[in-house]
Amino acid sequence: MEQSDRDLIARLARGDREALGPLMERHHRRLYRLALSYLRDADEALDAVQEVFVKAYQHAARWDGGSEVGPWLTRIAVNHSIDRYRRGRRRRAAETPLDEEAGDRDARLTTGDPSPERRVLGREVGERIASALRSLPERQRSVFVLRHYDELALEDIARVLDMSLGTVKSSLHRAVHRMRERLEGLR
Amino acid sequence: MRPRRHRGWRQRTSLLALGALEGREADEARAHVDGCAGCAEELARLRQALELAALDPVRAAEPPLGMPALLARVNARLDAAAAARPRLAWRTAWLLPAGALAAGVAALLLLRPAPTPPAAPTGVAETQVAVPEDMLGRMERTVTRAQTARYLDEAQDLLLTVAAPRPCARQSRRVDVEQEAERSRELLARRALLVGTSGEDVASARPVLRDVEYVLREVASLPSCARERDLQAIQREVSRRNLLMKIDLMTRELKG
Repeated sequence: MEQSDRDLIARLARGDREALGPLMERHHRRLYRLALSYLRDADEALDAVQEVFVKAYQHAARWDGGSEVGPWLTRIAVNHSIDRYRRGRRRRAAETPLDEEAGDRDARLTTGDPSPERRVLGREVGERIASALRSLPERQRSVFVLRHYDELALEDIARVLDMSLGTVKSSLHRAVHRMRERLEGLR
Repeated sequence: MRPRRHRGWRQRTSLLALGALEGREADEARAHVDGCAGCAEELARLRQALELAALDPVRAAEPPLGMPALLARVNARLDAAAAARPRLAWRTAWLLPAGALAAGVAALLLLRPAPTPPAAPTGVAETQVAVPEDMLGRMERTVTRAQTARYLDEAQDLLLTVAAPRPCARQSRRVDVEQEAERSRELLARRALLVGTSGEDVASARPVLRDVEYVLREVASLPSCARERDLQAIQREVSRRNLLMKIDLMTRELKG
């Protein structure tokens, strides 16, 4: 029988690493996309996901059994991505990647086999969104990412980010207007 | 409608566009928008922007690494942390030269040892002392840099071999790259298991690592009897990116 997330965390808390596989299987894609939406770099996002599960294992014993596992992992992923984003800002500014590299990376962001037009549009949109997201203050960026990429309900966003519902709503309102301004003219 | 009252609905219009309202709240917001031309216009603009934002490839991106490799990386990180924490036989450890110590830690990381290291055959009662965090940090950095340098060294060897291909015995006007493709796949698997390469320790190596990964993927995708022109295209790419020279400089830097 398939074990629940809670059972798996309880096993991790007892030091049973075998529980990592099924837990990762369930959550790694979602967390990867979440991290990628922040970091916009496949390697960085993968490292972030790796660290989420390392922390989940290391802190499993301290997990509050009353809360859900998914939002707990999301919270770790968001905090870790924010830290990584801050640390990487200076480094990214120092790096001057090859022109083709951006293309390679974008190719790795796409899935399936989209048409060339859609691929070009996807790349352009991806770049514009990355730039628009960078322009948002941290709180607005976090709420927008959790709503737009993870499709969390407002109450869940408030829980994950430890904010009041009112703050989530107002931050989301500001974020979506700023994103609209930034994406204007694209199409 | 008075502007002040109207402003109160703007936030709800944004949330409606995001599909973040439910039940009565959503009904009320929709009813308001139906009777407010400006709000309807704004809602349409926001929805258009969000439709564009929904095209972001990130929303459907798949991790570039399969689950088994990702799980192996997590286990390697946990092993590294477990190997770093246990109390070591301090006296014995200090007798080792720094290089041997780093190699020992590398071996510990690679071989995934049991959390407690075996007792050193000193014949002397050992003083169990916890290793200071900063020293563990230095050891991990040394190991990461050494592993990255070794990976780049081997990738460079492979790229040099690819530059001098053998004719394929089975098909004329083709070259035999079976071993090189296989070796590229092995190296890519190794790259996936390199821990901490996105950190500050090897930050300067990241552009080279990306270039190497790109070229290795190209080689790995070749059939065992490849067309010469496909191989030449890869060689041109290596040359255009000055990859061999960059690897050379980077491995020297990493080795200190």
